[in-house]
Amino acid sequence: MSQGKANDAPRLKRSRFRAWIFPAGVAGVYLILYPIAPCRTLNGLGVAGQVLLQASLPLIISFGMMLLLNLFITPSHVSKLLGGGAGVKGIFLSAVAGILSMGPIFAWYPFLATLRKKGASDFHLANFLSHRAVKPVLLPMMIVYFGWRFSLIFTIFCIFCALVTAAIVGMLGGQR
Amino acid sequence: MKIAIPADRPDLDARVQNKLGAAPYLLVIDSDDLSFEILDSSLLASGPLAGLQALSLVLDKGATVILVGYMSPNIIGPLQKNGIEVVTSVSGSAKEAVLRYKRGGFGVAENNGHTSIPKSSINFTVRFSEAWTKTAKQYLSLVPVLTAVILLVGLFKAFLPEKLLLALFSGNLIQDTFAGALVGSLLTGNPINSYVIGETLIELGVDLFGVAAMMLTWVSVWLIQMPVEISILGLRFALIRNVAAFLVAIPSSIFVVWLYRGGM
Repeated sequence: MSQGKANDAPRLKRSRFRAWIFPAGVAGVYLILYPIAPCRTLNGLGVAGQVLLQASLPLIISFGMMLLLNLFITPSHVSKLLGGGAGVKGIFLSAVAGILSMGPIFAWYPFLATLRKKGASDFHLANFLSHRAVKPVLLPMMIVYFGWRFSLIFTIFCIFCALVTAAIVGMLGGQR
Repeated sequence: MKIAIPADRPDLDARVQNKLGAAPYLLVIDSDDLSFEILDSSLLASGPLAGLQALSLVLDKGATVILVGYMSPNIIGPLQKNGIEVVTSVSGSAKEAVLRYKRGGFGVAENNGHTSIPKSSINFTVRFSEAWTKTAKQYLSLVPVLTAVILLVGLFKAFLPEKLLLALFSGNLIQDTFAGALVGSLLTGNPINSYVIGETLIELGVDLFGVAAMMLTWVSVWLIQMPVEISILGLRFALIRNVAAFLVAIPSSIFVVWLYRGGM
């Protein structure tokens, strides 16, 4: 066992190092762009800050949900509710969860990763992601801009598109 | 979900064996479709090391649940801490065991035998602290790619003005629908922004087809955030989901506008 751990240490170090290559690359782009267009580069940083601020609440909610999952939910629970054989209940649950999830999508990826580890199928994960397109809270705003007829048809098609996309991922995903 | 079972034969009718390291075969079964992988245990070392080698083998194959006759509590504890569920005192065929597990048929009794640590007996504070550490670790591992994507969104918004994207629209129905879908895939932010941009596009003479496509992909295709999706859900998943959402959005937006205008 100890031998295994000793062998894993450099691999872990390498993978941690590799994980920072992408952010370092993006930071490098900022550094290159700054002397060329300082105002825009700083503006970009400001926008990134705003995005982080907007994402902070969903990130906290997502963390809380992951904590509850890790604390109380076993793989058999998730497999039963969101696994391949979960049926209509699983489709409904993942759709409602997707519709209710707020904020930037990347705030919810860690939660989805935990769900997947615990046995959720690719179909249900895709269904969650796709149903984020349905925004009942923003419906009044859409009606103001495009009228109720367009908004209603658009929302119905959002649900249709979400289900079709999830079905395609479920069929072609191939992992579960 | 993948379930590991020590077995006496390389098929689903095999009997569940008492020990992981002493079984002739190890089955790693996908609980969704019962497809399985057979791992030959004959190559494993003999003696006490065999169990650990077998364990490492099934964990490498992605098993998150182990159904077995017996396992030492000294091994079960660390496995449970790392999110691997172990159910002991399992007997019968491998297929029956998996189906029973899926039904939630292994209650406290099986998991509570002399060999495993009952979850209820673990102090809640300890369990909470373990869950907290695990969640924090999962989150921290995502910090690099999340940071990069947030920085990328800022860069994109600062250097690719929306006016430039408007130049993609030509007045042709199919081309505009495609252009709308592309613009929606590239832009990020609150969907209300897509309504505002959509209204501006209409004022500039772009047809509703392109606007509907942009609004649909705005909320379903996320090209800028794709690195995070890839790192968490895998390249295949991210590619299929985004491409499928993009392709479904194009005919759907045409259909939305067609229905909106009262059909033909």
